[in-house]
Amino acid sequence: MNSTATIEEKATVWQKFVSVINKIGFSPLGLVLLIVVAVMPNFYPFSQEYIIRWLIMGAFLAAQSVAFDFTAGYINIVNFGFAALLGLGAYTSGILANTTPFLLYAPGLSPWLTIWFGALVAGLLGFVLGLLTLRLRGIFAAVMAWFVGIALMGLVNNLTDLTRGPLGMNPVKFIETPNNLPYFYIILVMMLIIYITLKLVVGSNIGLAFKAIGQNPDAARASGINPTKYLVFNFTLSAFFAGLLGGFYAHFFGSLTPSTLMHTSKTVEVLAIAYIGGRGSLWGGITVAFPFVFFIEFLRSNLSSLPGLHLVIYGVLMVAIMIYYPAGFSGFYYWAVSKIKGMLKKTT
Amino acid sequence: MGKETSTAPKLTVNIMTRLKENIPVVVVSIFSIILFILIGIKGGAPQLLNVVVTGGMWALLATGLALVFGVMNIPHFAHGESFMIGAYVAFFVFSPLNKIFLATGSKFLIYLGPFIAIIAAGLAGSVLGVIIEKFVFAPLRHRTKDGWVMNAFLLTVGLSFILTNGTTLALGPNFRGISRYFDVPSVEIWGAFIAVDRIVAAAIALITIGILWFFLRQTKTGRAIRAVSQDEIGAQLVGINLDFIQTLTFALATAMAAISGASLLFMFQAYPTVGLTPLYFSWYVVMLVGLGNIAGAIVGGFLVALLQSGTQLFIGLSWQSVVPTVVMILVLIMAPSGIFGSEVKGVQEQ
Repeated sequence: MNSTATIEEKATVWQKFVSVINKIGFSPLGLVLLIVVAVMPNFYPFSQEYIIRWLIMGAFLAAQSVAFDFTAGYINIVNFGFAALLGLGAYTSGILANTTPFLLYAPGLSPWLTIWFGALVAGLLGFVLGLLTLRLRGIFAAVMAWFVGIALMGLVNNLTDLTRGPLGMNPVKFIETPNNLPYFYIILVMMLIIYITLKLVVGSNIGLAFKAIGQNPDAARASGINPTKYLVFNFTLSAFFAGLLGGFYAHFFGSLTPSTLMHTSKTVEVLAIAYIGGRGSLWGGITVAFPFVFFIEFLRSNLSSLPGLHLVIYGVLMVAIMIYYPAGFSGFYYWAVSKIKGMLKKTT
Repeated sequence: MGKETSTAPKLTVNIMTRLKENIPVVVVSIFSIILFILIGIKGGAPQLLNVVVTGGMWALLATGLALVFGVMNIPHFAHGESFMIGAYVAFFVFSPLNKIFLATGSKFLIYLGPFIAIIAAGLAGSVLGVIIEKFVFAPLRHRTKDGWVMNAFLLTVGLSFILTNGTTLALGPNFRGISRYFDVPSVEIWGAFIAVDRIVAAAIALITIGILWFFLRQTKTGRAIRAVSQDEIGAQLVGINLDFIQTLTFALATAMAAISGASLLFMFQAYPTVGLTPLYFSWYVVMLVGLGNIAGAIVGGFLVALLQSGTQLFIGLSWQSVVPTVVMILVLIMAPSGIFGSEVKGVQEQ
């Protein structure tokens, strides 16, 4: 009697724990994986600088895919100007933090402060973009965002007094250190903030409204959802976080050029990760991004005689997933979990 | 006499109502005429001819885009890569061929070389189109119907990624180009010297569009293509082989992009990402006139070339991508289905 009671008690404690972490978007397995990734760079062989750099890129890509999936997976609008929004955040932050005299303006604020300004400016543009795409759906909205992205990239290229154009600018770094480890924790925390915030939004009634709008805007309107409000809110939040990530990029790499940052192909990379990870899951992109970056960087460093091979594999994988397994990795995970649960039920 | 006086006001009223119904068209026509005159004043004949050459090319590219969207409902993002493939094929056919022909010394053969290269590019493009259609879109079509437009769009995005980077992998990032196809002095037209290559390119664009127009209007297969673009199920009911028509359309569109890539080899050297600018501009054209509007795309090609040329002259070369984009954004806001509108199925569905 006594022993069974403690087991039950344990079970309820466990369930409480699970429900708490579920609220912020983690499963026990996901939490364990996250902790593994978080402590990874402290141990050899992962403590080598180049592997920490890969981890940073993985987290950066993962965070981008979360912010991207928030629009693409929920309200079903592909924000094709995502990279441009990110670049806007990066440039705003870089210019505000700039101390060197080559630009007309050198406010020289702390990068810790300016990344938020960058995020705000990007969020503002996201707000405008949301208003612009209001009347448009599907492909028209995607093309609109794409055009806005191209225009933005052209502006950055042309406002040479401010951005030095194609020559590129060199923003100050967060911390003057040769180690990459602090940056890894910065981006990991950013990724978690973005993921948990968006997961909380998606888990609330707002998330339901997003899904309703994504599936059928007219039906959503008929059932009393104001698409304007939710659409603009979604775009603003997604763009805000894109801008924040741009700020990280600026003050981590310390070099910005329009073509390496705001180009459409950068959006495509994020899109590929978000889709391979599974649309409308948010976490799918995170789980896919880390192994993917490792795989790609491994290919790139070992097969340097074949430039572009990793990108071809990228594209092939994306096309294959879209045709043959549109649910992506998260869809596969849910399918596998339900299969295993079914098998367990049968045995007991 | 009495009759005439009564019909005259009626006619003007008629015209006025027609104009009111087509305000975007009127605004755009007035604007483009003004722009045309301004360009003529500032740039003179060379600029105007430049508009015709680039306009013809954008029109050729955009017709392919419009065709693919109209018939298959695919917003084609990899259209620029077809352009790139065409440029490469033309380069690899033309340069050895030119050497052989130069050795023979026959003038006829030397002038024939470029045309062989361009035709080879067109053939290669159509083969590529068939392969892509059969291996990418046919499986997707058999698997899913809902959200088709968006899925197809993202597929072409992936495709463009594969083609660009596959080319880098196979051929490296080097530029491959020729300075000119025809080694003859420029021709003088209205006091301006125009390279023969440009004239030939414009002629090829116009002739190809003409052939396509004839094909779509007058032949049975062409009518079948238009039927599919109007109503897929209806076309199937009257016995049109949908798979065949869709493969044919895609091959045609790819071939047209490849032809324009080949005939512009002297302007756009062949390198893996050369397709980007043509892709942008052909998308501007189809967004301007309405997705899937084939006849509109021809006019639109020249309108966009006019805008591009105007930007270049009055604002500056580096603003070439910004100003047209801003104009297209305005068009999307005010007339999302384009200035000529498009009655193609699927535009409003998604």
